[in-house]
Amino acid sequence: MKPDLNDPAWAWAPFQPDAARPWDLRLAAHLYRRAAFGGNWPELQRALSEGPQATVDRIVRPTPEAADFNRLYDDYENAAAASAGYGSQAWWLRRMIESPQPLQEQMTLFWHSYFGISNVHVKNNASLCRHTHVLRQRGMGSFEALLDAVLAQPAVWICLGAGADGKRRVSDNFARIVMEQYALGPGRCSDSDVHEGTRALSGWIVTQGELRFVPGEYDATPKKILGQEGDFDRKALVRILANHPATGHRLAQKLVRWFISDTTKPSDSLLAPLAKQLTGDGSMAKGVEMLLRSNLFFSAEAYRQKVRSPVELALGIIRPLEGRTGTVRLAADLAGLGQELYEPPTIQGWAGGLAWINPLTTLGRAKLAEALLAESGAYEGKLDPAAVAKRHGRATTDGGRQFLVELYLQGDLEAEALGALSAGASATGSVNTRAANPRQIAAGLASLPEFQLA
Amino acid sequence: MHINRRDFFKEAAGATSLLAFGSSVPAFLARSAAAMEPGQPSREPVLVVIQLSGGNDGLNTVVPYQDDAYHRSRPTLRIGSEQVLKLDSALGLHPAMPAFRKLYQEGRLSIIQGVGYPRSSRDHDAAMEDWHTGVLREGVPPGARSGWLGRAIDAACDPGKTDLRGVFVGEIKAPFSVHTERVVVPSIKSLEEWLPTGAAWSDSILPHGSGLASSSGVPHLLAAVRSATANARLVQPRLVLANQHLRNQKSAAYPPFPLAQNLAMVAQLIRSDLGIRIYFVEFGGGGIGGFDTHANQAANHGALLRELAESTSAFVDDLNHDRLLDSVLVMTFSEFGRTLTESGRRGTNHGAAAPIFMVGGRVKGGLWGAHPSLTDLDADAPKFHTDFRRVYATVLERWLNLKSEKILPPGFSPLDGVLA
Amino acid sequence: MLLLVVAFSIHGEDLPPVSQWIPADAPIMVEVSEPMALLGPLLSPEFGKSVTTELENGKANLKLQEFQGVVAAVELQLGTNWRTALSRLAGKGVSFCVDPSGATLLAVDGEDEKLLSKLNDIIWQFASSGADQQNQPETAASPNYRGVKTWKLGTNEVHALLGSRLVVGNRTSFLNKVLDLRAEAGGKTLASSALFKAAREAVGKEAVASVFLNLQTLRAAPGLKKALEEDGNPVTALLLSDTKAALRSASWFALGVYVSDDKLILKTYTDGAAPESAKWSSFSTPPEASADLLPPLKVPGTIASLSLYRDLHSFYAAKNTLFPERTSGLIFFENMMGIFFSGIDLTEGVLSEVRPDVRVVVAKQQYDPAVGTPATQIPAFAAVLRLKDSQRFGETVEEAWQKAIGLANFTRGQQALPGLIIDKANQDGVKYTFSYYRPPADKSPGTIDARYNYRPSLARPGDCVILSSTDALARDLIDALKKAPTAQAKASSAVNSLMEIEGSALSAILEANREPMVRKNMVDKGDSREKAESDIQMLLVALGHLDHATLTLRRDASRPQAQLEIRFK
Repeated sequence: MKPDLNDPAWAWAPFQPDAARPWDLRLAAHLYRRAAFGGNWPELQRALSEGPQATVDRIVRPTPEAADFNRLYDDYENAAAASAGYGSQAWWLRRMIESPQPLQEQMTLFWHSYFGISNVHVKNNASLCRHTHVLRQRGMGSFEALLDAVLAQPAVWICLGAGADGKRRVSDNFARIVMEQYALGPGRCSDSDVHEGTRALSGWIVTQGELRFVPGEYDATPKKILGQEGDFDRKALVRILANHPATGHRLAQKLVRWFISDTTKPSDSLLAPLAKQLTGDGSMAKGVEMLLRSNLFFSAEAYRQKVRSPVELALGIIRPLEGRTGTVRLAADLAGLGQELYEPPTIQGWAGGLAWINPLTTLGRAKLAEALLAESGAYEGKLDPAAVAKRHGRATTDGGRQFLVELYLQGDLEAEALGALSAGASATGSVNTRAANPRQIAAGLASLPEFQLA
Repeated sequence: MHINRRDFFKEAAGATSLLAFGSSVPAFLARSAAAMEPGQPSREPVLVVIQLSGGNDGLNTVVPYQDDAYHRSRPTLRIGSEQVLKLDSALGLHPAMPAFRKLYQEGRLSIIQGVGYPRSSRDHDAAMEDWHTGVLREGVPPGARSGWLGRAIDAACDPGKTDLRGVFVGEIKAPFSVHTERVVVPSIKSLEEWLPTGAAWSDSILPHGSGLASSSGVPHLLAAVRSATANARLVQPRLVLANQHLRNQKSAAYPPFPLAQNLAMVAQLIRSDLGIRIYFVEFGGGGIGGFDTHANQAANHGALLRELAESTSAFVDDLNHDRLLDSVLVMTFSEFGRTLTESGRRGTNHGAAAPIFMVGGRVKGGLWGAHPSLTDLDADAPKFHTDFRRVYATVLERWLNLKSEKILPPGFSPLDGVLA
Repeated sequence: MLLLVVAFSIHGEDLPPVSQWIPADAPIMVEVSEPMALLGPLLSPEFGKSVTTELENGKANLKLQEFQGVVAAVELQLGTNWRTALSRLAGKGVSFCVDPSGATLLAVDGEDEKLLSKLNDIIWQFASSGADQQNQPETAASPNYRGVKTWKLGTNEVHALLGSRLVVGNRTSFLNKVLDLRAEAGGKTLASSALFKAAREAVGKEAVASVFLNLQTLRAAPGLKKALEEDGNPVTALLLSDTKAALRSASWFALGVYVSDDKLILKTYTDGAAPESAKWSSFSTPPEASADLLPPLKVPGTIASLSLYRDLHSFYAAKNTLFPERTSGLIFFENMMGIFFSGIDLTEGVLSEVRPDVRVVVAKQQYDPAVGTPATQIPAFAAVLRLKDSQRFGETVEEAWQKAIGLANFTRGQQALPGLIIDKANQDGVKYTFSYYRPPADKSPGTIDARYNYRPSLARPGDCVILSSTDALARDLIDALKKAPTAQAKASSAVNSLMEIEGSALSAILEANREPMVRKNMVDKGDSREKAESDIQMLLVALGHLDHATLTLRRDASRPQAQLEIRFK
C-alpha cells in the first residue's frame, strides 16, 4: 500500500515503522501523550524496544490492578463528593496521575466533554461524581450500553432540562439533544422524529435527586422514529440511535478530533472504517485501539497537532516526572485556565484547540508550570527533575538538561533555544538558586509553544 | 498616581523590539505601539458591566421625592426633598450618592428608567439567570445556556485567533453573564497570580524555528501558538507595570472599598491596552447579594450606594486623566427592583422594574424614559416599560459594534438617545 | 513529669546577655535562658517511651526516623549521650534574632567550650560536604573579623565561636555588626533600647524563655498588617477585635514562657494602646465593679469550654465602625433575624435582652447505634446565653428558633434534601425543643451522611438559653447548669475571655476522624497513603501529651494580656 492519507485502507492500517517514518522517541512519546497523558522515561524506553504495536497492546489491554484501583478511588471520590469544594475533582486528578490504565482516564475525560454535563446546573457534587463513574465504567464498551447508562443519570436529566417548572414531560429540546447532539449529529432528525423521541422518553421523572419511572406518565402508543415504528421506550430509543450509521460517523469524528488532530477535517470516506467499528455492537475499545494503531495516528497529520487542554498540560508535566502533587490546588488552577472538572461550558463540551489560548491563559500556563516545578510553594516541590534525571543515569548538569529536553520535547527544539534557556535561567536566577537549575529548565521547557501542543 | 500614557508604553516596551516579530504581532499591539503620542485614546470601545447582586431598590436610588404614594408607602425608608440630591423637579438621587450627582451634572451619567421584562421572576437565582442569559430560560435547556456577554465575547474572538476579549475582575466565581461556549474568560483576583516570575519563562520564548517545521513550513497550529506566546511575552511587562501602579496608588485616588479596588484594576487593564473589550465586575459579594435589603434597609442600602457612587466616580476620574473615558462605557444592572411598600422590617421585598445607570464619556446624559407610575403597580412593584434586552442591544450594536442577532433573541431594537 | 532542672554549676567565662551585642533596630528577638527547663517534657522518660513505641509499631514516621539517625550521628561524633550533650552545649541559653533585612542569627551558650568547638566543626563538615555533593564548590573561608575567627560558607552561612558562645548566622553583614557591638562599648544595642527594656521588665526574670517583637517596625510587614486588620468576619471581631486594635497601636509585644510545677505558662505583654482603640473594646470590657466571669461549663466529653464577657448589644450597635463594608453575609444575617424576630429591631429589641455572659461548649458526641455514625464526626457545640427577662422574652426566642428550623427545612426541601422533624422533651423538669433527621431508609452498614451530626436543640432552663447542635449536649448542659447556677469563678481581675481545652477529648475526636484526615492530607499534599498516615500519627502522638490547656484574655488598664497554661501528661 502506498502511503496516502486520503486512502482509508492505508490510513487505518496498523503502523509499521520504516526508514521514512522510524519508530523513535518522538513517536513513542506521541503515543503516550495522546493515550496516557504523557509517558515517563522507563515507559518510553520500553516502548522503543517493544515497537509500536506491542506498546499499543500494553496501553489498551485492561490491567488486573485496574479494577481494585478504580474501586478504591471510586470510594475516595464519593466520600469527598459529600462535602463542598474541589475534593472530588482533586481525587479524579490524582486518579489520572496514578491510574494503571490511563487510557481509561483519557476516555472518561473524553466522554465528560462529549456529554457536557455540568455541575453549574446540577448543583450536586455527588451526582456529577456518580456520572463520571458511569462514564468510566461504560466508556470502553458499546456506545449503546454507555448511552443507556448515561440516560439513567439524574444529573443528565437535570442538565437537559427535566424536572424544571413542574413539567412531567420533557420538552422537544431535550429529545433533540439526546438524538442529535449525543447521537446522530446536528440536523439529522426531523421535527416529528424529535417529537416522537420525546414520547419515547416519557414516564421518567427526577424527584429528590433520583430518576424514577412513573408508569402512569409513560406514553405507550406506537412511535415512528427515524423510519422505524414500534412501541419504543427509552431503551429502545437508545438502541435505534446507537445502531444508526450517522451515530457511528459522529463518534468517529469526535474521536478523530480528540485523538488525532484539532485541525484536520477528515472526509466521510476516511471516517467510514472507524465509524463502522463504532456502530452497533462494536465496542469503543476496539475503535480506539484501531485508531491508536493506525498510520493516520502516527503520521505528521497527527503529530503535535493538538493543543493541550489544561488537564493535559498539567499531567504532561507531572506524569513524565514519575511524581505526584497535591491536586486540590491543581483543580482550582486548572479551573482558572478554563477547564474546571465537572463543569464543561455547555453540552457541546470544551471547544478545545486554540480556544484554550489567549495572552492571559498563556501566562497562566507558564505560571502553572513554574508553580508545579518550584522547589517550594503551593505544590511543595514534590516534582524533582534532578532526581529523575539522576535515577536514569544523567547526573551531570548538561546530561540532566539533555534528559529533560528528551523527556518533555523529544528534541523538538533547536539547539539555540536550549542554550538560551539555560543561559537565561542562570543569568537571571535569584541569589539563592544555582546555575542551570533543573527545575527552572523544566519549567522553561513546559512554557515553550512546542510543549503546549500534544 | 496617574501615569502618562506615553510613559507607560515606554516603560512597558523596554528593550523589546516589536518589529522583530513581524507579522506575528496582533494588530492591536502594533497599532498601540505606533500610536504612542500622548493623550491619543485607544479607538476600540470598552464595556464595563457592574452587577449589583441582591435586587437594588430603584425607588430609593432614583427617588420620586414629590410623589405622595412613595411617601405614604414608606414610612421609615422614605427620602424627603430636604435630603434627596435633586436631579430635576420630580426625581433625585439617594443622599449617599453625591458622586453620581456630580457625574450627572457633568453630563456623564444616563439613567434608563423602568427597565425589566415581562412576567419577571422575583426569585434571586431565576431572575439573575434571566439577566445573565438574556433568553428567559424558555426553550433552552440548562446545559445549552450561555451568558449574553459570553456570546458577545465568543463573537468578538475570531476562531483561529487567540485574542483576549473579555475578563471577569473579582474574588467570587465569575457570574453566568460571561459564561462562554468556546473561549476562556479569565477571572482575575490579582495580577500577580497571572504573572510567572521565573527567569526561564521570559528568556525561553525566542523567535526561531524548531525541529517541527515540516516541508510545507511551520504547521499552522504551532505558528498560532508561537504567535500567542510572543503576544503573551509582550503583554507580560504591561501587566507587571499595571500591577506596580496598582500597588503604588495613593490612597486618595480610589476609596478603600473592594468595588473600587476592582475598578482600579480594570482601569489599569484598559490602560494596558490588551484588546480586552468587555470587563465584568460584581458588587454585593456574590451569594444572594448585599442589595437584598429585606430588613434595616436605610443604613445598609446607603452604605452600598455610597460605595457604588464613589468607586465609579474614582474610576471615571482615573480614565479621564488619560483621556480614555470616551472609549469606556460603564453599565450597572440588578436582577430586580424592590417593592414600593415596606416589608415591616424597615426593608423592602423583591420587586420588578428598576433603573439602569450608564456612565461614560459618550453617554448622552440625563434621564431616559418616564418614571414608572406608583399607582399602577405590578404586585406592589413598579411596572417596566423597557425590556432589558433592548438595553443589551443598545450596548452591543451602538457601542461594541457587534451584531445582536446572534447574541439576543430576535425583536429587541436598540434604544435611541442613550448614547451620543 | 517535668524534669526539674537545677541550674547548672558555675558560669564559665562571664558572657554578657546576647542582647548587648544585637543592634537596636532588630525587630525580633527570642531568648531561651533555660533551655533544659523548657524542653523538660520532651526529655521525660514517658515521651521517650512513646517515641520508641511509635517506631516499633511500624507506623514509623519517616521524619522521626531521620531525626533519630541525626541524633545518633551527633552522639557518636560528640562522644556523649544526647541529653548530656544538649545541656552542655546549650544549657546556658539559646537566642535567636532577626534583623530588619531578614538576616537571622542564632547564639548558643554552652557549658563546655571544647564541646562547642567540636559541634562547630561538625556543622562545618556537614555544610561543606553538602555543598560538594550538590556540585557547588562554594567559597569556604575563614576570614578574621575584629580579631575573631569566623567560618564562612557561600553566601548564607557564617559562624563564630566566642568563648562558650557559638554564633551562627545567615548573613556576614549581620554577624559583623554583632561583632562590632561586642568589640566597642556604648553602641546602640538592643539591650539599651527603651522598648526592649520595657519588654524585658514586663516579662520578668522568672521566664525561661521570652520573645520580643518591635511592633513599630514589624507593623509595616504586609502579612502582619493584614492579620491585624478587621476582616469583616463578625466572629473574629467579637472575639479578637480589642486585642487586634491594641496591637495595631502598640510599640512592642513580648511573650514570656514560664515553668511552674507541671505546667508551662505563656504570657503576652504589650505597652499601652492608643485611646481610639477603646471603641473596639467597649463591648468586651467588663465595667469596673462587675462580678467575675461565669465559670466555663463542663459536661461529659467536653473538648473545649469558653466563658466570655461580650456585650452583644453594644457590639452590634457599633457595626458601622466594625463593619464599614456591607457584605452580603451581613445583609443576609439581618434579613434572617428580621424574619425570625418578626421585625423587632435586632440591636435594640433583641440583643439588648441578652446579658453579656456568653458561654460556649464543644463536646464529643455519642451516636445512636440504631441510626449509625457519620464518616466525618463533628463534635456537638452549644452556646449558653442569659436573658435579662426570661419571662417576657423567652417565648420570642423559642418562636425565632422554630422559624429558623422551618426556614432551613423549606430551603432544603427546595433542593430535594431531607428536613428536620421538631419535637419536645423533658429533662429534669425543663421542657426543651429539639429536631432530628429521620434515620436513613436503608440500614446498610457503613457510614451515614454528615447531616446526622446535627440535631439542633433549644432549651431554656431558668434565665439561660441553650442553643445546641445536639439534644444530648442540651440535656447535659441543663444538668450542668443545675449543679452550678451562678457560682463565681476564681478571682482574676478583668478577665473577659476564658477557654479550657481537654487534651484527651481533643485527641479522641481527632482519632475518630483519622481516616478523613488522612485522605485530606493525601489529596491536599499529594502524599502517599503511608506518608499521610505517618504524618497524622505524628500529630496525634504529639497531641496525646496534652492533658489540659487554659487560655485567658484580660485587659490590664488599656493593655490586653493573654495567658496560656498548658499541662502535659
